[in-house]
Amino acid sequence: MASPFGAVLDSVIRVRGVRAAIVASERDGIVVDAILQIGQSGDRVAALAAALYRKARLSAGAAGMGAVSFMQLEAPHGRICAVGGGELVLIVVAESSVNVGLVRVELLRAAGALTAAGGAAE
Amino acid sequence: MTMTVVESWIEKPLERFVRDAGVELALLLHPSGQVLAQHGFARAVDVMSACALAAGIHATAGELGRMLNGRPFRGLHHAGRTRQVFLAEAAWPRGTYIFLTVFGPDSSLGLVRLYFDELAAGLVAAAPAELPSAAPALEGNFERDLNRNLAVLFGRA
Repeated sequence: MASPFGAVLDSVIRVRGVRAAIVASERDGIVVDAILQIGQSGDRVAALAAALYRKARLSAGAAGMGAVSFMQLEAPHGRICAVGGGELVLIVVAESSVNVGLVRVELLRAAGALTAAGGAAE
Repeated sequence: MTMTVVESWIEKPLERFVRDAGVELALLLHPSGQVLAQHGFARAVDVMSACALAAGIHATAGELGRMLNGRPFRGLHHAGRTRQVFLAEAAWPRGTYIFLTVFGPDSSLGLVRLYFDELAAGLVAAAPAELPSAAPALEGNFERDLNRNLAVLFGRA
């Protein structure tokens, strides 16, 4: 059976420099659907990135900053970007040279589809 | 919360698991129900109860898996409203053991599964080569061994 997230993942993975796109449960960090390259550990990235996103969302709420719309983690050899939608989080693993603006636009566009499929967040 | 272990080589891998996965309780036990290590429990009686229940759940899930699937289920996850339980089998050269952990909103099933795999690998790496194989508990020795392990964990040995 086709996943309802195929189109969302396709639109993100098409951006040049994006190496993996994962839809995961924000609460559990379990992969719902993903497009990965051979050798990538989607389970590992999903568990850690979803936990990070959840903590960032809770931190922003605690600081009275409102909802997190887009999260970006910069590392020497790449970037991890994420947006949340309902109880799901869309995680992107990209090269350092990726056009972050384009990734952000695609992720924010995808957030609506995640919310529709993932229900309301806690 | 304190961690106590019956055999010292278990401590480091388990300590790392507890820290990285952010769990509240952790219990490593023999399939017979005898405890090997615990984290987060305050009373021996709670450890004893948790071990008995975990061993029972493991045996039941194993049989259910054999009936339905031809092979035993090796992992179990139960999500409560605020706390979740993860129970899985860890195998290393000495035999098979059961691992039970309880975690809250500070952790997640994904993190627990991820670090459980690392714990299992860490235990294999840390286990001394000269350990005897885990013999099934004999009825006559069971209570004596159980009490000895609980005494070691809770400082009454």
